[in-house]
Parts: sequence; structure tokens; C-alpha cells
Amino acid sequence: MARIIGGLGSPHAPSIGALIDQGGWDQPEWKKLMDGYRPMQDWLEAHKPDAAILIYNDHVTSFFFDRYPTFALSVASEHPVADEGFGPRPLPPVRGDSDLAWHLAHALVEDEFDLTICQDMPLDHGALTPISAFWPNHANGWPTAIVPIAVNVLQFPVPTPRRLYKLGQALRRAVESWPQDKTVVVLGTGGLSHQLHGERFGFRNADWDHEFLSLLETDPEALASLRTQDYIERGGAEGAEMVMWLAMRGALSGEARKLHVNYHGPLHTGFAQILFEEPAAVIA
Amino acid sequence: MVRQIDPERLPAGTYLNTGQAANRALRVNRLCYDLKEPANRAAFEADPEALMARYDLEPEDRQLIRDRDWLGLVQRGANVFPLLRLSQLCGDGLAGTGAQMRGETLEQYLATRQAKGS
Repeated sequence: MARIIGGLGSPHAPSIGALIDQGGWDQPEWKKLMDGYRPMQDWLEAHKPDAAILIYNDHVTSFFFDRYPTFALSVASEHPVADEGFGPRPLPPVRGDSDLAWHLAHALVEDEFDLTICQDMPLDHGALTPISAFWPNHANGWPTAIVPIAVNVLQFPVPTPRRLYKLGQALRRAVESWPQDKTVVVLGTGGLSHQLHGERFGFRNADWDHEFLSLLETDPEALASLRTQDYIERGGAEGAEMVMWLAMRGALSGEARKLHVNYHGPLHTGFAQILFEEPAAVIA
Repeated sequence: MVRQIDPERLPAGTYLNTGQAANRALRVNRLCYDLKEPANRAAFEADPEALMARYDLEPEDRQLIRDRDWLGLVQRGANVFPLLRLSQLCGDGLAGTGAQMRGETLEQYLATRQAKGS
């Protein structure tokens, strides 16, 4: 039986990806943020998960508003690195896991999550920023297979906070019903507070971000009970994407322990990282 | 049923991508979306009017693009993520695009932040 061994949260801002490509891990203004990845990199290196389910959003790169899916699961064995308008990042194609992904597709649809199934899905910064930060030695390929699930957080109505939490719970059931002796982590991405449009551009709320991080550990049910409007008011319209972290948290058991948290928000966005470990985690 | 959004009580300066504004903005969004193709970026730089003609934009949208009026485009329904392809092609980075939407200069906006640059 496959098992979930941990959950990780990360922002996905393209500026972080650019820093990584420039080798800017120690750049003074961003050192507090980039150092936040080190314990996560060490944990992943020690535990070597076979696969990572990546909860992310596409930024109108692989999907356009002509036909826009609410949840889209990739079953591809490989994902191209997208050109978002500035040339593609110098990253190798992102290896998937078709067997796990097709299993998830069946299990989730049977669990009443009717996803769009994608066989050719280039990945943009929503996916590439977190994985290139978690696995910094990616030049020759990715050590862990990535199974991306894209969530609509851009065109309203977006799925409710509780729906994301339930997606995580369904993902746990789905993984645990996969008859393979494999280890899986779940990645929640985006946020935290920020707004990138309108006169409210630049809105941040560090108090709310810290409250979110605390409740994510101690009372995720409270976060699932909030409305989309609450997330927009407290964390900005684009920051409302932080509900994607609820899918990561929903996939964890009550026994998961928080090992690490970090926060740094000096510019447009309140950036945070978090690492949860399951009792099922063993050093590989 | 709990309603997730109160359209009348959104924070000031927030324009949700939904409803008739989203329908109206489809063609502007498509132009911006297609800028992920290098050939379209080159076409815009060579002759923006010709590229806009291909997308059958309304006169108001064409004028907003000529004016580099990012706030106006967002208020007409354009989504910020494809729009950033256009604004950055026109030389406004994320911070510069945002500063304009706030009604500030780039320097004024960055002065409100702890870190410089973007």
C-alpha cells in the first residue's frame, strides 16, 4: 500500500525561480526566504519520496478562459517547461507518474471529484518555482515524480476552501488505495497574502499569514470553514490561492507533526514555507 | 447556502475576474495569453495595431493598450496574469505595473516596501 509521508507548503512566485536560476540562494535581501527551503531540501533528500502530488495553479499558460477547468489532473509521464512569455526556464522536463496519476483519477472520480484529465500539460511557475526550490539539484532530472493537480483560483467562482480541504482528504484515501509500496508527499503551493491587481495592488497582511500558518497546524477545520470572501479580505484577491494549502493539510493525518515553518514578506507577497511529517515517514 | 462572495462588499480596488466583465475581456485576455508565443511578442513589438486588429478588440480596449493603462484594462475585466505578459513586454515590470495601478510612481511604491527591485 502506498502511504503519504509528509506535506510541504511553498510560495510559487516567479521571482523565486529566477533567483534559483541565477544561483542567488545567499542574496542578502532574500536569504531569509531561501534559507527557509534548506530544512525541506534536507528532509526530502533523507526520505526520498517516490512521488509528489503538486496542488498548484496555472497562470493562464496551459489553460485559457475559453474553456477553464476547476480541477485538472495530469496523467502525463513528462511535462514540458512552459514559455510564459519570457522564454522557458532552463529546467529539465518534469517527470510524472502515469500509473499513480491514473489511479488517482479513478479514485478521485469515484470519490465524486470529477476532474479534467490532462495528457499534455506544460508547467508554469505555479509548479516550477516550488519544485525547483525543494529539489535544487535538478539540472539532470527530478529525483521525485511529480503528479500535478491544477486548481482554478483565477476565474470566479473558484472552489470553496472546504472543497480544497476535502480534496486533500480524498487524495489521502486515493493514495492509500494504491496497491504499490511507494511513498508520497503532498505539496501545497502559492500565497500567502498578496494582491496583484487594481488600486489594492501590494496589499499584504502578515498578521493573517501567521494566523493561517498557526491554524493550518492546529485547526485546519477552522480554515476550511471560512468563505472565499474572507480570504480575499484578509489576504488579498490573489492571496486567496492559499486555500490550495488546505488540500495539502487535508491529505495529512491527525498525527502529522509540524517540523518547520518560515515567513518572509518584504515586497509584494507574504512568503511562507511549512513542513509536516507523518509517523509513516522513515529515512530512506 | 453560504454565499462565498459578496460582490457589493469587496475591498476597494479589487476587480474579480467573473461575470460580464470576464466575457467582455475574453479577446483582450486572448491577445495577452497568446504572447507566450515568441512570434506574437515579435508581432506586437513590430506593429501593435496590426496585432490588435487580429483580435477584433473593441475601440476602448485598443486605446487602453495604446495608453499602457493597466488599471483601465483590469477595470474592463482583463486578468492580471496574462496582462503581465503585455505590461512586461511594454517595459513595465511587476512592481511598475502595480505602482501604476495604485496611482503611484515606481519609486513611491517601492518606498512602501522593505526590499527593493522585483
